[in-house]
Amino acid sequence: MSLQVIENATCTFCGCVCDDIQLHHDDMRIHKANHACVLGTAWFLNHTAEKKYPVALVDGREATLDEAIEAAATHLHAADMPLVYGMSNTTCEAQKQCVALADQLGGLLDSHTSL
Amino acid sequence: MGGKVTCTLGEVKQRADFIIYWGGNPAECHPRHFTKYTIMQKSRFLPRGRKDRTMVLVDIRETKSAKAADIFLQIRPGKDFELITILRALIKGQPVADEQIAETGLSRAVVDDLIARMKRAKFGCMFFGMGLSMTRGKHMNSAALLCLAAEMNAFTKFVAMPMRGHGNVTGADVIMRWQTGFPFGISFNRGYPRYNPGEFSTVDVLVRGDCDAAFIIGADPGATMPQPAIDHLARIPTIVLDPHVTHTSRIARVHITTAPQGIAAPGTAYRMDELPMPLKPALKSPYPSDEEVVRRINEAIARKPFWLPDGRQPQMVATLG
Repeated sequence: MSLQVIENATCTFCGCVCDDIQLHHDDMRIHKANHACVLGTAWFLNHTAEKKYPVALVDGREATLDEAIEAAATHLHAADMPLVYGMSNTTCEAQKQCVALADQLGGLLDSHTSL
Repeated sequence: MGGKVTCTLGEVKQRADFIIYWGGNPAECHPRHFTKYTIMQKSRFLPRGRKDRTMVLVDIRETKSAKAADIFLQIRPGKDFELITILRALIKGQPVADEQIAETGLSRAVVDDLIARMKRAKFGCMFFGMGLSMTRGKHMNSAALLCLAAEMNAFTKFVAMPMRGHGNVTGADVIMRWQTGFPFGISFNRGYPRYNPGEFSTVDVLVRGDCDAAFIIGADPGATMPQPAIDHLARIPTIVLDPHVTHTSRIARVHITTAPQGIAAPGTAYRMDELPMPLKPALKSPYPSDEEVVRRINEAIARKPFWLPDGRQPQMVATLG
């Protein structure tokens, strides 16, 4: 099977965010990441489209996405002082939703920067 | 971050003939930084590339990056702030005692040579890593280094830039600054954003046990934080969004698997010089993206009654829908 090629893909492993990576991939995994460094190659090759993990876990048991979203909303809504933390390995679009989440909850908002 | 004297990596690549790495190990942590942006690049202004550039490494131990450096300055642990303050004094010709210089682990001759080189440079750039910003002094060290960069502009062009790790951590700063006015350590508990690191920063909040629920996304505090903070995360309902089942997922009440950013989820990520880059995902994940999941949690919470007595829901940052 021939591989598809993506030119000038963006690597988000470290803060360099190199945007000149050539990815050779099929439906399941990325086989080659040209121009990427050791860290970037590991980043691209170690993530696959396989279903390795359950969609969601609630109290250690497998759950559907809808159940998990409802459980998350219930816990966060019940809390007096919820904390929204992290946001490093995610997109700006998701980060914007996280700011709205902390705002709606009247909670705390913080990132890796404060570590 | 306001008032930071900085530039883009493109300018560094084209013009910087004097580069200082302070408390960072780019050879191992940002492997393409040398070749793509700093010392190895040839440009119109620096046609001989590496030969036209000088690299100084300041660190407490000889890392792999030291091999790439022209000058390696090994300083005593925890003396970064002292050395920066001494440099700030000496560039302005103020007197500094020999004992004060010796305390940093360097000699006066070495410090004088560094200052002469900094002043001779046409375009100087200081990159500072976690060895500066995460040791004794923390953000005061970064502030001092940024001051030094600003003050060097009395003599020549000088800039400073943090060496950010962890993918889109720069994006988190930028988005929070855009949406709330502050980069991190924010509380919305009065209905409007307030900024106070130390009070609202995560490690402090968790160690004191101040929060009664935690929503963790794109991070694994269970592997990186001090034990008392992890213990508190295990005590309270913790919700984790991550492409993997992480250490934190194991102590969490809810874990939701999401698509990895840039590989199976589209979007934007910021480079360390605060340039936004579009992501080009190669794979189609069986999992939803972080954005979708957080948006749906937001919508689920919006359907519940608000906690103010009149049920009103003041919204500072409107992004729902």
